[in-house]
Amino acid sequence: MRSIDARVRILTASLLLSVLSSGVAMAQAAEAPKEDDSFILICCLGPFLLIALGFAVFGILWTVFAPIMFVYGMIFSERNLRKRMSDLVLRERASIEHFGKDPLSTLRGDHIVGGVKETGLVYASVVFSPSHWQLLIAWINQIFGGRIDVIHRVISVGRAEAKQRLREQAQAAGWDDVLNVRIDTAEMTPASKPKGTKAVEVFAYGTGIKFG
Amino acid sequence: MQHIRDGIMVVNTETIAGKVITQNLGVVGGSTVRAKHIGKDIGALFKNIGGGELKAYTELLEESRTEAIARMVADASARGANAIVNVRFATSAVTAGASELFAYGTAVTVE
Repeated sequence: MRSIDARVRILTASLLLSVLSSGVAMAQAAEAPKEDDSFILICCLGPFLLIALGFAVFGILWTVFAPIMFVYGMIFSERNLRKRMSDLVLRERASIEHFGKDPLSTLRGDHIVGGVKETGLVYASVVFSPSHWQLLIAWINQIFGGRIDVIHRVISVGRAEAKQRLREQAQAAGWDDVLNVRIDTAEMTPASKPKGTKAVEVFAYGTGIKFG
Repeated sequence: MQHIRDGIMVVNTETIAGKVITQNLGVVGGSTVRAKHIGKDIGALFKNIGGGELKAYTELLEESRTEAIARMVADASARGANAIVNVRFATSAVTAGASELFAYGTAVTVE
């Protein structure tokens, strides 16, 4: 993955380049006869026009696609959630079969007397978001107050997914047990929608332990 | 996933089972601030409509966390530790679109 520094450098370079090129164009135009006024205008406004065009294209696409995808969310978001739930049940069953029990625990390991070969950190995370349709339902629910089951379902599936990924990580790394499991939830704010949380990150971590 | 990095054991329990902590070398930490590029963000925006997992964000945070841990481990090895115990993680959204990931723990020597 390219670092932020590299991206900033590219952006600055391209900005400088556009300023330079418009400067050169203006210098050329100054030498040329007066008829080329429109040329200067285009050169100066070129980058801005391009940006405006980009916004316009995005706006048109958005107005076309947003309703379609809203309806898509209305039909499929609940179905997708149910599918993920049933998948999770199967995966959970598989890993419990592998370990012989649920490997995750919040115990600190004081109950282990000896025979430990190795320990190490194990972590897994998932970023989960409700669909716009589910957010609308939640918003309507908020008017009346009380329990908001739509969001609750989304969050609990996300949390179960993070826990299951932790089990799978532990299985892949060959741990026998995962101690002191913590589950953190953090809000993610997309750059496009600075107001309001649209996604949550669930992060699960613990200490893997191997008996020798 | 590596569980021993540069000869340093990293755990989030207070002690390491089967080992004795001989020296406390202080709190070590590592952090990183990351943002995704606009293409991925727009992708996530479209994905948001169907709901469910946003893979671009998950990958981003996974990479950042690995980097934060690597920095913490570098800090600990500079202090001459051979283990980090009681590791914790914190996440904060510094500005919209960027998040800070912070990992911290206690550097110790164990025998």
